[in-house]
Amino acid sequence: MRAILGLEAPQAGSALVAGRPYASLKRPLLTLGALLDAGAVHGGRTARAHVACVARSNGIGLARVDEVLDRAGLTSVAGKRIAKFSLGMKQRLGIAVALLGDPEALMFDEPVNGLDPEGVRWIRELMRALAAEGRAVLVSSHLMAEMAMTADHVVVVGRGRLIADTATAALAERYRRDVLVRAADPAALAMVLRADGGVVRAEDGLAVTGLEARRIGELAFAHGIALYELTPREASLEEAFMELTDDSREYVTR
Amino acid sequence: MMDAIAAEFLKFRTLRANLYLLISSLAAVGLSAGVAFLVARGFDNQQGADLRRFDSLGDGLGTGLPFAHLVIGALGALSVTTEYGTGHISTSLTAVPARRTFLLAKVPVLVAVSLVAGQVLVFGMYAATMAVLGTRADTVLLGGETLGASLSEPGVLAGLLITGASMPLVALIGLGLGTAIRSTAGTLVTLTALLLILPVAAQTLPRPLGYQIGAYLVGALPAQIAADGLLSPIAAGALLAAYTVAALAAAVVAIALRGHRIRPLLAGSAATIVLVGATSVSAAASPTSTLAWKPCGKMLCSEIRVPVNWAEPQGRTITLPLAMLPHTGRRHRIGVLFSIPGGPGGSGVQDLERHAGSFAQIRDSFDVVSLLPRNGVELGVLDQDCLTTGPWITTADNEREWAALARSNRAAAERCRAADPELFAHLDSASFARDIDAIRSAMGERQFTFMATSYGGVPGIAYARLFPSRVRAMYLDGIVNTLRGKSEGDRARYTLMEAQFTRFSQWCAHDSACALYGRDVGTAWNELRFAADRSPVPAEKGVVYSGFDITVAAMPDIVTPGEDNARWKELAQAIRRAEKGDATGFSDYVKAGTLGSLKPPSTVGMNMTHCLDGIGYRDYAEYRRLRALGDRIAPHLSGNELWHPLGCVGWPEPVRNPAAPLPADRLPPFVGAGTWTDYADTADLALRVPGSGTIRFEGSGHGLYHTGDPCTIAHANRYFIDSRVPPRNTVCRAES
Repeated sequence: MRAILGLEAPQAGSALVAGRPYASLKRPLLTLGALLDAGAVHGGRTARAHVACVARSNGIGLARVDEVLDRAGLTSVAGKRIAKFSLGMKQRLGIAVALLGDPEALMFDEPVNGLDPEGVRWIRELMRALAAEGRAVLVSSHLMAEMAMTADHVVVVGRGRLIADTATAALAERYRRDVLVRAADPAALAMVLRADGGVVRAEDGLAVTGLEARRIGELAFAHGIALYELTPREASLEEAFMELTDDSREYVTR
Repeated sequence: MMDAIAAEFLKFRTLRANLYLLISSLAAVGLSAGVAFLVARGFDNQQGADLRRFDSLGDGLGTGLPFAHLVIGALGALSVTTEYGTGHISTSLTAVPARRTFLLAKVPVLVAVSLVAGQVLVFGMYAATMAVLGTRADTVLLGGETLGASLSEPGVLAGLLITGASMPLVALIGLGLGTAIRSTAGTLVTLTALLLILPVAAQTLPRPLGYQIGAYLVGALPAQIAADGLLSPIAAGALLAAYTVAALAAAVVAIALRGHRIRPLLAGSAATIVLVGATSVSAAASPTSTLAWKPCGKMLCSEIRVPVNWAEPQGRTITLPLAMLPHTGRRHRIGVLFSIPGGPGGSGVQDLERHAGSFAQIRDSFDVVSLLPRNGVELGVLDQDCLTTGPWITTADNEREWAALARSNRAAAERCRAADPELFAHLDSASFARDIDAIRSAMGERQFTFMATSYGGVPGIAYARLFPSRVRAMYLDGIVNTLRGKSEGDRARYTLMEAQFTRFSQWCAHDSACALYGRDVGTAWNELRFAADRSPVPAEKGVVYSGFDITVAAMPDIVTPGEDNARWKELAQAIRRAEKGDATGFSDYVKAGTLGSLKPPSTVGMNMTHCLDGIGYRDYAEYRRLRALGDRIAPHLSGNELWHPLGCVGWPEPVRNPAAPLPADRLPPFVGAGTWTDYADTADLALRVPGSGTIRFEGSGHGLYHTGDPCTIAHANRYFIDSRVPPRNTVCRAES
């Protein structure tokens, strides 16, 4: 993200925004809004002054400043010095700045950091709403559950390499639906299940895909095979991520 | 860019810290006022000459300016280091991703703010200093400056405006350092070192190295742009620009992304090198002297060969010793102050040695140079004993006595002339003046600044007539004025001497230490003189004193009463004893001042120049006329003015340097200074040049600068340094 914004120089390659290097955009905030670091503010300014300073540099008027402060829920504290803000309020302030230029694309780095549950929910809904307005919203996060609930598309990066670039649903799909079955006669049950269209993989018990747990129970009952365990397993995005990045993690706890 | 600049203005305005910083810069005004207060208090506790020993506060910026520079530099630095410190930089660079634009957008903001703040501070410091100093500011100090500088003086207003206008450059230096260093603390430490600590450290270095290094520091540059300092205005301007360009180049390089740094690095280095180069090129324009100077005591000594006869430049030469009290290096070297010694025949080398203390301050701006002139009695070409003796002068009452005087004068002259007739024929003051110009030329100086003392005025006048374009300034101190007609000159001098005699007699009437206390001194004196003319008073070895002899012998005592009026006391004693028929009071005094002569000798050493300069009488008739004039207008001192001209009666050499008018329209204004008895002649000459000024010393004596009168030295130094002429009739008084 810092490379996209021209804050870092990539060792190789380039990042383009709307087809051009970000640094060459005349009023970049009108194209891309970003919140990378909520702490990138001077505590001595009021919230309104901070936003106004950024707005002025991109030729954005004061009416818009009040608008984004309102959208970020900061109207009541707009005249307060930022130094007195909580992390959550700073996060909202950063979002207000990102929204300033009414850009087609937005980037958020860990936007829910430090937010209370209400704030987290607000951000999630805001991002969904922004996307619903037809904007591209790029969010980075380590909170997979959040992404699972928010993102339409995930890009997984590990050690600077692209690991996955796919729809969130498709990723989850790939690792979903699997039922763990332990039975008195696994071989017989496997045959029954395969006959009914299931895919069976033997591990510690049978890992079954293609059949619902309910159907597996019924089939076992019908064939008189005693079941010890019948557990539907759903792979979370997090597990999918862990699996994908298994050999890409830089810091591993052992 | 305009949006970025507007945003920077808004960013500046919306931080209250900037306002506090600007308010704190006003402490600089307080600092200046505080120092002025301390100086004013010290000033009030001093008296007389000590008042002149203070160092000038000038425009009063001295102490406050480094602080003002620090605050303004910090303003520039903080405008970027707080961005790095708070992390705001990434917000800024996201909004304005063109990094150079982001950096340079701060420039107009800092320039505008610090320009206004700079002028406010500079004029605030000036006004505060002058308000505290009050009328003390007008005191002219030994260094040639006033204690405080008035806005009406040339260069002061310009200096303040330039210093104020230099503030933006200091702010940009701060911005550059801040961007390169990024840390607020680190930048402030660097600025403090650069603006506050280095100047103090430079002062602790051995002189003149400390002065020279100090001149290259940021804080010393604005003043040197306004007026010549150790650096020329162009060099100082280029150097200040170089500091700014180097700091900004470092900033542009530091803020650029990796891979985009080479071009600004090369461009910034090139620009800095060009500017520093401009500094050294224009600083290297010092004159090249072909004279070799060697240490001799506390001076430097050298010598110069000059033709004996300037009409034959390829002819025989003589070598004249030179001495220099060298420039201290504390300030910009203006050039050479050449001291033309009196006499005639006096040694300028000895003058510099004896009176070095009088030149202590002017050496900050000049090399002070003098010589043992061609007519110097110590030169050794002509016999010194012969030169310091001569015939006793008698006033001729008829043509026969006139012819007898001529014979005795000629005999004395021939005796000295024999050793070197060619030199003896060229001891006039015009030849002396040409010798001086040879020194000027050998030293590679376009012009000399002159100080002429006593008879030194005659070669001074000759120089001004022969080489007017070579005269930067001419200070005349109690000089002999040959441009005045003899009648007019005698009339003026008799009047002044009579006034001085009146002071002597009034002192005597009121001081019981006077041997004639309680008596009418004027009557007693004249009765003695007239009685001695009828029947001369014996001294020793059969020598007798006429009234003329008594008058001539008494004259130096009358003019210069000396410490505690010692010489007036001595004179009163001598008169008292002569009344009783014993003239040894006079002869003892004359003996002590000559090589044991029992009467005032008309020394050949003086006459050999006097007569060639045309101070003698045209003929017997002129003598009679001027003698009659003295008898008419000088009741107590008649005859005194006859003494020197009578020494030229019968002189074997023709006049070579006759008095001739000065090319006044081609000369700079002169300054003349003189005591009660010297002022009129000196002022008469100085004021022949338009725009000249004079210093009238209300007191006795002969010579003011060499003998160390602080008031005269202060005004003269002011003239030497800035060509600032004191108003006509500026008055000095003895300050002890």
